[in-house]
Amino acid sequence: MRHIIFSLLTAAFASAATQSDYYLREEIPLPPGEVMEIGSIALMPEQKIAVTTRRGDLWICTGAYGDDLSKVTWKKFTQGLHEPFGMFWKADWLYLTQRPEVTRIKDSTGSGFADTFETICSDWGINGDYHEFAFGSEPDKNGDIWVVLCLTGSAAANSDWRGWCVRITSDGKMIPTCSGIRSPGGIGFNAEGDAFYTDNQGLWNGSSSLKWLKPGSFQGNPTGNKFHSLANFPAPPEPADPSRVLAERLKHPEFIPPAVVFPHAIIGQSPTGIACDMSNGKFGPWKNQLYVGEQTHSQIQRVCLEKVNDLYQGAVFHFLEGFEAGLIPVRYDQETGMIFTGGSNRGWASRGSKPFTFERVKWTGRTPFEIETMTANSDGFTLNFTEPVDPASAGDPASYSMAAWTYILQSGYGSPEVDQAAPKITAATVSPDKKSVRLKIDGLVRGHVHHLDSKGVKSASGQALWHADAYYTLNEIPK
Amino acid sequence: MFHRILQLFAFTVPLLAQDGGQLFTLHCSACHALDGKGATGGAFPPLAGSPWVAGDADRAVKIALKGLTGPVEVSGKTYNLEMPPQGAVIPDDQIAAILTFVRSSWGNNASPVTEDFVKTIRASVEDRKTPWTAEEILKLHPLPLERTPLTNLISQVYRGKWDAFPDFSTLKPESAEERHNGIISLADSPIKNEFAMTWKGSFEAPTTGEYTFVLDVDDAAMIRMDGKPFLQIDGSGPMNGSRLKRAKIQLTQGPHPFSVEYLEVGGNQGLAIGWKGPGIKSWKWLTDTPAMGPAIPSNSIPIEPTGGRPAIYRNFIAGTTPRAICFGFPGGLNLAYSADNLAPELIWTGAFMDGGLHWTDRGMGNQVPPAGDDVIRLSKSRALPATARFRGYKLDPEGNPIFSVQIGEQFLLDSWRADSGTLVRKLTVTVAPLEIQIPQAEGITIDGTGGKTTLTLTPGQTITLTYRWN
Repeated sequence: MRHIIFSLLTAAFASAATQSDYYLREEIPLPPGEVMEIGSIALMPEQKIAVTTRRGDLWICTGAYGDDLSKVTWKKFTQGLHEPFGMFWKADWLYLTQRPEVTRIKDSTGSGFADTFETICSDWGINGDYHEFAFGSEPDKNGDIWVVLCLTGSAAANSDWRGWCVRITSDGKMIPTCSGIRSPGGIGFNAEGDAFYTDNQGLWNGSSSLKWLKPGSFQGNPTGNKFHSLANFPAPPEPADPSRVLAERLKHPEFIPPAVVFPHAIIGQSPTGIACDMSNGKFGPWKNQLYVGEQTHSQIQRVCLEKVNDLYQGAVFHFLEGFEAGLIPVRYDQETGMIFTGGSNRGWASRGSKPFTFERVKWTGRTPFEIETMTANSDGFTLNFTEPVDPASAGDPASYSMAAWTYILQSGYGSPEVDQAAPKITAATVSPDKKSVRLKIDGLVRGHVHHLDSKGVKSASGQALWHADAYYTLNEIPK
Repeated sequence: MFHRILQLFAFTVPLLAQDGGQLFTLHCSACHALDGKGATGGAFPPLAGSPWVAGDADRAVKIALKGLTGPVEVSGKTYNLEMPPQGAVIPDDQIAAILTFVRSSWGNNASPVTEDFVKTIRASVEDRKTPWTAEEILKLHPLPLERTPLTNLISQVYRGKWDAFPDFSTLKPESAEERHNGIISLADSPIKNEFAMTWKGSFEAPTTGEYTFVLDVDDAAMIRMDGKPFLQIDGSGPMNGSRLKRAKIQLTQGPHPFSVEYLEVGGNQGLAIGWKGPGIKSWKWLTDTPAMGPAIPSNSIPIEPTGGRPAIYRNFIAGTTPRAICFGFPGGLNLAYSADNLAPELIWTGAFMDGGLHWTDRGMGNQVPPAGDDVIRLSKSRALPATARFRGYKLDPEGNPIFSVQIGEQFLLDSWRADSGTLVRKLTVTVAPLEIQIPQAEGITIDGTGGKTTLTLTPGQTITLTYRWN
């Protein structure tokens, strides 16, 4: 009996201790008695942080970067906003994407309360359906805000530009930019400044995924196509039903496939906010990678991207978990190397059991043994590791296994995994510096998700990988 | 570690004789107080007279085992504290003894709780790792009905089918019963189809002031207060909120003759009568069923002005457009401005908004009406040119709004504030004369229009309009 308890405890500590060895997740105290269902986060000067809540309050937090989080203080800046999902600070203004409009607000008198609410653009349609959410980005290189507009009830297009991405210029013009959107959960940019959003599994969306908002592109769900005529936009494609993303995008070049599919229920179920790590090592070695929030599983995933034949593709890895509620916004502070995230589980349940949360994650300075990047070759993949590998295990093809599949593109809800394939790993060649391995693989499938399990690989110091599973979406096989 | 567990057992052994009162003092009284009224003058929830510990014991046992988190309403007061779970600390027989004590002390009068019962409940919630929320536990175990302010209540049942309310004094009832709990219930009728029912008694108004009553019914009902009909739904139809009616009445503290007449014409049946009085923000029910539908949030979250500044609420509001911006001014006057139609669309008195329907679960869309009364619809279409654009709003130092509309080069500024029971609107334009519509509406008088519905604004001049309820 005592032995069992002892070994249970050891096991529990071993798995629970892993994340905190590398990353310290901390809850930031919230104003007592307030319902803080956080929908957006803006990093402000002097290490202040603004958050908006789903109920429409905007609070400013002081002390969220500090060593002693018990010293955090909050000040309510305004109320009565319409469920903002997107906020940033720029030149004394807070810019907000609210359900009906993009707005900027400020305190013009120094009273401590917002008194000026300027509507920048409200040219998209909204009809009072609870599901017509709007998610807005930070400004792009031109200062434009990208807004992704959820379908009516996540299934219909009953008001103008539902199912589209629009850009809002600083002088308030709305530029329809991409069609084919279903139900977004967040939007952000990669290091090159290209825009990406997360779209949730559902109609015309076999599994949730991270999608590239290439201007002029179609993202796969034709429900909102009809609005193209409002702006002399070329008619988006009408995909065959049922079909496959690959088949349809080869017919219709403007159909940009998901950059990275997040296999449903394996890598979360509701991806949300996107943050790019351009801090060059302040959060570990994940240079220019994306951190993607997850509402249902209360996690943050890690994504590495590459461009092959002018399309983005790449791998998603499990990364951080155990957050207290469903995560919505994810912000990364490039200066201090801290992730700030928050969220809510109202209406959509989450593993984290609290109704709302605000948290930060710091790197402890210890780097886990992980696959740092996974890139495609004409005959397989190259894995770069965060530390030198043990050549015996990493050089043995039996340390790896691979499965591949895709999803049905269809008007119905979601999709099972279909068209299963079993690519065979025939060789694993360790580089002279032992930091990378080139896998030679027979049977790569263009368009498929490739699940690589590397659980046999050990580091030079004998450690197993923190996360052995990678899910690479192979839109294109390099020449 | 092992030693400490043994010590703990050694300490608890003498208490196995299970004196519920002694165990209550040890484990519970620090928060709930020795008199059960809540420690530190009621900062903690009372157990004395609390419906939470009355009725079926499942609710109380589950809360004792797993704790309770978040807001909880007990006898009209909301508390937001953490009740720590006791399941890991106190064994079944002791929890049974404590709850038996609580349920039979300070005027509480509910059945004892057995060790076996606690054991069964403990097994049924074994997997639960987190404390309950009030909402969760009430879904599983609703509170027993509270006594209503109705006294001397007598119900009578009549067999038959009526299209309109008959003179019940000429009819012979099938049954007549006293209802000591003051609860109006159709379940008390032995007849289930084609019948009428009446209740007569006194409504004991707790304080003097304005009361609001709400009625919904399947099929027809009439309420009389002080002998006069004041709330009535005729004909036949479902009880789903679509035919719901509300009315206000001024009452002095003390008893008022109160009666209800009810007709069941066919099909389903239902009756819901609720009331609110001075200082009472959520509906209280005289019936065993509450009314449902958008007008009656089941989870009421009143939104009101604080600190003498107006409340602001942007959301989907029934009766105006999706881009509505609502202001609830101190003193109970309210405005919904449409940023789609660039004009004020609704004004109303009393309560501002209830967030319960938007802020619970996924939230409703545009079915949610204003929470107050005397809702006046000022307009419902756009009168300004198509080129006009909403440009936002500013708040003056008191927090009152100045809405801004851009039309080409110029701006129309539309400011609102409450003043002595009226809403005062000031309109200015910056560059060139502009014609605007001021529709008249039933129920209000608009001073300052000179009787016209079209006014011309000229730069440099402010037009002041005063909206007063008739």
